Amino acid sequence: MTPALTVHNLTVGYLDRVNTAEVNVVVRDVSFDLHSGRLLGLAGESGSGKSTAALAAIGYKAPGSVLISGRSQLGDVDLLTTSVPELRNIWGGQVAYVAQDASQSLSPLMRVERLLAEPLRLHLGLRGPTLRKRTLALLEGVGITDPESALRRFPYQFSGGQQQRIALAVAMACEPRVLILDEPTTGLDVTTQAQIAKLIDRLVKDSGTAAILISHDLALLGTICDEMAIMYAGEIVEQAPALANKVAPRHPYTAALLDAVPRVDERGLVVGIPGLPATTAVNDCCAFAPRCRFTTDTCRAHHPELSDYGQGHTVRCLRSAELGALSSQRHPPVASVLGSNANTLLEIQGLVCSYRDSHSPPVVDHVDIRIGGSEIVALVGESGSGKSTALRAIAGLHRPDAGEIIYDGVPLAAQVTKRPRTQHRDIQIIFQDPHASLNPRHTVASIIDRPMSILFPERSASDRRERVYFLLDQVRLDAKIADRYPHQLSGGQKQRVAIARAFAAEPRLLLCDEIVSALDVSVQASILELVAELTSQTGTAVLFVTHDLAVVRAIAERVYVMRSGVILEEGSTDSVFEHPEHQYTIDLLAAVPRLVAVSRD
Amino acid sequence: MATFDISSQTTPHRRLHRFAVFLIDSWEARIGGAILLVFAIMTVFGSVLAPYSPIEIAVGLPNEGMSTAHWLGTDVLGRDTFSRILCGARSVVIVPLVATMLAFVLGGIFGIASGYLGGRFDAVGSRLLEILLALPPLLVVLVVIASFGTSSTVIIISVMLVYSPRVARVLRGAALGVATKEYIQAAQARGERRLPILLRELLPNISSVVLVEFAVRLTYAIIFVATLNFLGLGVQPPSPNWGAMLFESRVTIITNPIATIAPTMAISTLAVAIGLLADAASRRFGLDDTSEIVR
Repeated sequence: MTPALTVHNLTVGYLDRVNTAEVNVVVRDVSFDLHSGRLLGLAGESGSGKSTAALAAIGYKAPGSVLISGRSQLGDVDLLTTSVPELRNIWGGQVAYVAQDASQSLSPLMRVERLLAEPLRLHLGLRGPTLRKRTLALLEGVGITDPESALRRFPYQFSGGQQQRIALAVAMACEPRVLILDEPTTGLDVTTQAQIAKLIDRLVKDSGTAAILISHDLALLGTICDEMAIMYAGEIVEQAPALANKVAPRHPYTAALLDAVPRVDERGLVVGIPGLPATTAVNDCCAFAPRCRFTTDTCRAHHPELSDYGQGHTVRCLRSAELGALSSQRHPPVASVLGSNANTLLEIQGLVCSYRDSHSPPVVDHVDIRIGGSEIVALVGESGSGKSTALRAIAGLHRPDAGEIIYDGVPLAAQVTKRPRTQHRDIQIIFQDPHASLNPRHTVASIIDRPMSILFPERSASDRRERVYFLLDQVRLDAKIADRYPHQLSGGQKQRVAIARAFAAEPRLLLCDEIVSALDVSVQASILELVAELTSQTGTAVLFVTHDLAVVRAIAERVYVMRSGVILEEGSTDSVFEHPEHQYTIDLLAAVPRLVAVSRD
Repeated sequence: MATFDISSQTTPHRRLHRFAVFLIDSWEARIGGAILLVFAIMTVFGSVLAPYSPIEIAVGLPNEGMSTAHWLGTDVLGRDTFSRILCGARSVVIVPLVATMLAFVLGGIFGIASGYLGGRFDAVGSRLLEILLALPPLLVVLVVIASFGTSSTVIIISVMLVYSPRVARVLRGAALGVATKEYIQAAQARGERRLPILLRELLPNISSVVLVEFAVRLTYAIIFVATLNFLGLGVQPPSPNWGAMLFESRVTIITNPIATIAPTMAISTLAVAIGLLADAASRRFGLDDTSEIVR
C-alpha cells in the first residue's frame, strides 16, 4: 500500500537570533510514512523538534525557519517545493492541522457555522442547503449535542473540550488525506482528554485519514497510536509499532522517558533524566550521550545511524545491538514509610471560599483536610475544582468565608500579614509556573536570600550567603547560577530555584501548587524526586495540589479527591487508587491512559 | 568561585556597563544621546560659552543675518541670537525636567498604590483621576498663573498638576499588570510588608514603562513650557528663553528667518532627541524578559 504522505530526510533549521548568518538545525534527517487510517505518534520533550518537523512536512515555513533538505510526497506533489499559493489549495482541504489550544486557534469573531463552512466552501465549493447539511453532520460526527444551536454560537461559548471537538470538525471538514494533530489534548482535564483521544481514534479509523499525533504524553500515544516515533534533538531516535515500543524500548532515551513518566497503576517514585534536553541537532556524536547512562567514548565520537530491528522497529543508538531490550530503572515501591501521621500539623475544618464578584456557589465548600507531621498529602482535582483556592487560603492569600485553619494547634489568621513571623517561616508555597513566580529583575542569589533576610533577621549576610550556596547545592544547581537572572535559566532550573527559595525559610509545611505541570516529563520527574528527597531529609510536610493522578501516585502518601469545591474521597494513596469508592474517582482513574496496562494485553 | 554581592540585585558597575551597552547598541540611542549631551552642556555651561551677554541690547545691528561675528544673527533689539539660545537652554530644560520629576513622584506614588492595592482605593482614586484628566491643561495653567502670578516655581507646580494624573493613570495600568504576578504573591506569602513589595518586587518590573513614560512626558513638558513662554506666561523678558524668542522674532520671520528658525530648531531637536532615546529604551526593555540583555 502506498503511503498517503512520505517524508524523506527532512532537515530544518532556524536562523540564529544573535548571529543571523548562522542556522541552528532543529530537525535533522527525519523520515516517516503516513498510511491512511493509521495514526503515527510523535513524542518528545519540548524543543525536540516534533512540531517543527510535522509543520515543515506539510510545507509550512515558520518565520525564521530554513528548509535545508528533504522531500514530502503527497501523491504526486512534493509539498516542500510547492509554492504557498498552491499550498493554500491543499491546506485545509487535503491536509489539515489541529493546534494545541482550540480557544486560540478558532477565530473568536466567527460563529461555529462560518468556521465550518469556510473550508467546505473554499475547497469543495458547497453552497446553500448541502453546505448546511454537511456542517451539521460534521458537528454530530465529533459528538456535539444539539448541533443546530451550536452552529449559531461563538467558540468562547463552549468548554475547552468542546472547542477542541469543533476544531477537529473544522479539520475533518474536507475529509483530508493527511491530518496533523499538534498536542490536541494538552491542557484539557483528564476525563475530557480521554474523550478527545477516543474521538481522534474513531475519526482517523472511520475517515481513513493518515494522521500524526504530536504529544509529550507517552501513555496517551501508546493507547491510540498504531506506530510511535520518539524524537530527541531533532532526530527520530526510535520508531516502532506502538505495542512493541511499550514493551521493550531499545533506545536509552525511550527507556529513560518511560521511567520518568509517573503511572497511576504503579507505586514508586519516578526517575528523572539528568541534564537538560538538547535543543539543536548534532552530527558528530550521539545527542543523548551527555544524559545517557550507557555512554561510552564511542558515543561521544560517532553519530549513530538508524538501525533496523525488524517489524518496523528502528533505533538510533550505537550500542542498541549489544544492549538489547532495556528494562526499567524505576525505584522499587517504597516499603510504606508513611510519615508520622499521628501528630497533626495542619487541620482544616469546614473551609468555605468564594470570589466576591461572583454570585455562583462557593469554589471551596466545607472542606476538611488534615496533614500529619511529615506527611505528603495530595489534593487532586480537575480545573475549577477549587483545589488551588483552598491552598491559597492556607497560605493566607485568599480570605475564606468560613471555617478554621488550625496550624500546630493554633488557628491561623485569615490574612498572611496578620500572621506572626514563625508562621511565615513554617508555611511556604511554591507556584505552578516558575517563570512567573521568580521576579525577573532579581538574581538567583537575591531570590533565595530574600526569605532568609526577612524571616531570619538575626543572620549575618555571610551566613546567608553560605546558606544560598548550600541550598543551590541541595537543589542540584551549579553555584555559577547564583549571579544569573531567571530568564537565563530553563524551566526546570527555575523551579529548582523556587524550591530552594521555599526551603530557605526552613518550612515545616510546604504548599505545592501544580509545581510540575508546566515542566517536561524528564524534568518533572527530577523535580518530584527532589521534593521527595528534601522533604524526607527535613521532615517537612507537603500539601501537593495537582490535576495529575499519576503524579499523586508517585509522590503522595494520602490523597484527597476534590470536585466542585467538595472533597469526595480521602484515604491512603494506595487504597484510593486500588479500591476507589466514589464514582468520580473511578471515572477519573479510568480516564488516565496507562503505559503498562495496555502492554499486558 | 565567583563572589557576589547578595544585598543588591546588580552591582553599580554592571548597571553602568549595561547602560553603556544600551547606549552604543542602537543608532537611535546613539544619536539621541549625542544630541542630549550637547543640550546638557548648553544647560550647564551656556552662559560661560556665550560670546555676548544674552540680554545686552545692540551688540550688533538689529535683525542682522548670519555672520562670523553673530553666528545666528541678531534679533529685533540687536541681541546676539546664538548667545540667547545658549543661555536660554536652562529655562527650557530645567523647568520641564523638574516639573516632570515632581509629576512622577506625585502621580507615580498614587498610580502604583492604586494599581497594587485595587479595591475601593483604586475605584475612588480612578474616578478622581478622570475628573482631573477632563480639565484642559492650558486652562489649568492659566488659572494657576492668573492667581499666583508667574515665576519658575509657579510654572513647575502648574505643569506638575497637569501631568501627575496622566502619569498616575499610565503607571496604575503598569502596576495592575504586575500586581497579580506570582512573584508578588510569593512575597506576600512570606509576610513581606507593602512598601518593600512595591519597591523591591513591583517597581523594578515597571521601570521600563516608567522610563519610557518619563521621556514622553518630558518631551511634552518641554513643548508645553515653550508654549507658555511663547504666550508670555513664563519667564519674563529680557531673560533669554526659546519660547519667548520665537514670540519676539515672529514679526521678522520673512526678513530675518534665522532668528525664528534657531529657537524652533532648538526646541524640536531637543524633543526629537528625547524621543529617540525613549524609542530605543522601549525597544530594549521590550526584549527584556525573553532575550539575553545582561551580557
